[in-house]
Amino acid sequence: MPRRSRNVLLFLSLLTFLGMQTGLSQKASPSSSSQANDRWFEDVTHKAGIHMRHHTRRFDNPYAEIMQGYTKLGAAVAVADYDRDGFEDVFVTDSCATCKNHLYHNNGDFTFTDVAEKAGVADGNGAENASSGALWFDFNNDGLPDLFVVRFGHSILYQNLGNGKFRDVTKAAGLDRYFNAIKAIAFDYDNDGYPDLFIGSYFQPINVFHPNTPRFFPESFEDANNGGGVTVFHNNKDGTFTDVTEQVGIHTTGWTLDLGHADANNDGWDDLYVANDFGTDRFYVNNGNGTFTDKTESAIGFDTKKGMNADWGDFDNDGFLDIYVTNITDDYMREGNFLWHNNGNLTFTDVARETGTYETGWGWAGKFFDYDNDGWLDLYVMNGWVSAGKENYVPDIFAMITKPNVDLADARNWPPIGNKSLSGYEKKRLFHNEGGHIFKDDAARHGLDSTKDGRGIAVADFDNDGRLDLFVTNADDEPFLYRNILPTGAHWMGFILEGTKSNRFAIGAQVRVTANHQTYLRYVNGGNGFASQSTTRVYFGLGKATKIEGIEIRWPSGLKQTIPPLAVDHLYKILEGQPVTNIQPWEAKR
Amino acid sequence: MIKNNRFHFFTLLLSAFLFCGLARASDNDFQLGIKALESNDFSTALRYLEAAVTGDFDNVRYASEYRKAAIKSKDFDRSLKFFEKLSNEHPNSANLHLNFGFAYVDKIPAAGSITQVILANNALTQFSKAVELNANWINLYTRGVSYLFWPKVFDRAPMGVADLERAMKVQKNGPRQDYHVKTYIALGDAYWKTDQLAKAQATWQEGIKLFPKSAELKTRLSQKGDDLKNTIEANFDPNKRVDTDLRDLWASSQK
Repeated sequence: MPRRSRNVLLFLSLLTFLGMQTGLSQKASPSSSSQANDRWFEDVTHKAGIHMRHHTRRFDNPYAEIMQGYTKLGAAVAVADYDRDGFEDVFVTDSCATCKNHLYHNNGDFTFTDVAEKAGVADGNGAENASSGALWFDFNNDGLPDLFVVRFGHSILYQNLGNGKFRDVTKAAGLDRYFNAIKAIAFDYDNDGYPDLFIGSYFQPINVFHPNTPRFFPESFEDANNGGGVTVFHNNKDGTFTDVTEQVGIHTTGWTLDLGHADANNDGWDDLYVANDFGTDRFYVNNGNGTFTDKTESAIGFDTKKGMNADWGDFDNDGFLDIYVTNITDDYMREGNFLWHNNGNLTFTDVARETGTYETGWGWAGKFFDYDNDGWLDLYVMNGWVSAGKENYVPDIFAMITKPNVDLADARNWPPIGNKSLSGYEKKRLFHNEGGHIFKDDAARHGLDSTKDGRGIAVADFDNDGRLDLFVTNADDEPFLYRNILPTGAHWMGFILEGTKSNRFAIGAQVRVTANHQTYLRYVNGGNGFASQSTTRVYFGLGKATKIEGIEIRWPSGLKQTIPPLAVDHLYKILEGQPVTNIQPWEAKR
Repeated sequence: MIKNNRFHFFTLLLSAFLFCGLARASDNDFQLGIKALESNDFSTALRYLEAAVTGDFDNVRYASEYRKAAIKSKDFDRSLKFFEKLSNEHPNSANLHLNFGFAYVDKIPAAGSITQVILANNALTQFSKAVELNANWINLYTRGVSYLFWPKVFDRAPMGVADLERAMKVQKNGPRQDYHVKTYIALGDAYWKTDQLAKAQATWQEGIKLFPKSAELKTRLSQKGDDLKNTIEANFDPNKRVDTDLRDLWASSQK
């Protein structure tokens, strides 16, 4: 634990001893109570009108019954203020052939209106395409977030026209290719001022709707290399993209489920973590010259687990961004998650066991966010694969595994799941960060312990009150919108960054706020986390601190901007390089 | 007939002579292997110990020390190949199957979660062969405990109970050995895993009377609920190395 963290703990312990209540000590109180007034989240899904359920794609091919057990995917969410009215909107995918995707416009009063049809972004599914993810990113740097709908099939790039409507520009952008894509993130890997596109694919680019071979399943449970891997598209700054995967040195054909970018060593260049199912996750260091080097072995070692999620956050406030990766941990498979503590030298140490974040069942999205604004990043984690009948699928799969010389790549060797369950009905976990060294599960207390088959988590402040809310997707089920109703007291501060030399949405920008002699690092991420994209705004929980000692922004362009202390409990919009005097709180238009 | 008898006599004499010679050679190899192991010369240690086991394939001690060398050198696959070959050559050696099974167990903590299942399954196959050939204490105890590692969904804990109850009978019919405490611990755990808490407690109680210094029994008897659950489940974590050193067997017999 960093010395500063220890000092803070000692200080807080002393305060508690002296009988003084602090924000941290209040929140660290026993979490067993399930009384409603102890809850800091309220399920407002139906009240907000944002409850359309997800439907898993059912395939119509000779392997359909087998694929059913391995494709319960596609419930994804992405957040952005697409119409620039000051309130974050929500795009949610569905996956069945006739199902529509949803663009929920935030009405500003914690209600939403589905405007997908009107906006022209509803048609994400069909016989040859299934929506599996979504990403907002401003590919043409016009200040309007555009929408990339990730699909098994041909993904779609919708240009935001700024009048509430979108136009499909996939072909013109050079992105019209078949992928079994499940994840996309955008960040400016070469810091040329435009965000580039990184696509993670699960299956190799075989047409999964009509496979021409039965050999398209993972060849191994622990080191499969016949997946879709990662494809990198460089933004040409003219509305088009070029596939530069080989040139940049990203070589992986794993079964990619998530991508996470951040600057691991604070050198101004964003690095990349690739979470792969059925085998080795990958860590690529950005060389700062438009290429990456695979540093998996020295950074994290070669694992054999089932990587599902890669979110970055500085959980111990030591000034380096750490990584949370979910794997599978159940009675029959004891992989454990990774909480990769960043050692600051491009190596990481897994501290999941020590911190209590090791075991979350069959993990999916896991997101860092500070739900109680105490200055420590907490974690919310999805889990559960298939919650169906009472019969368990595990013996079936183990019977296959233990067959001598079984060809796992051949889908015909995999047993159909039927109505059986596999790691089903698992309770979600809300890990409260207890001072940067241990986490405690508070999900039940706050009513966040659903047993649905959770997938993605979007963290955003939907009512601009400084308390971070949650939108959660569930496979084959309704989503959840959880409104954060944390009692007032803990202070906060937020930033909306706009690049001028850097990419417009400032993806990759780092913000350091110092208060109470503690410096907090947060950054703008371009869509990290399984099946979900959180806000690109940057929020700081400040606990009892009412005064800011310093603010520094490191822009992707390399500019370091020092901002004079600002008043707490406000959002601020900062333009890259703007004069830093007289910065006023930002307000939504409505 | 006489001629035949004479032939048998000479054959037996020759076999005995050869066996003694082989055993001596094995012992020499074993000593050299242990010496090499002590100086962390794994390559030499494995070579000598393989020669020792090959020459005296039923020797539990040689095979156990060989596996320890394989664990230290992390050369699990070499050990598996060696035991596979040797057990094919001597399919009726229960001790060889037992050690072959342990060689699979030795690799489990170093393997991925799915390979762990395959290894555990292979180990169980070998342990079962050992039990079929000789249902002695170590074979029954080993297979019984191995059943307890399996996830609940496979419902193998009752089979563990059955084997461990048989092992308990075997040990009660013979002179008491220090290692017999393990059966009390494991059988109690097996009862606990099959929701027979009263029987588990009774078994541990019975064990503590005979082995009053057993910290593991004391711990179990002093705990309840989640604490007891955590203690027992910590013993069956596939990511932790299981102690497969069989030295208790000969250490006890040397007393």
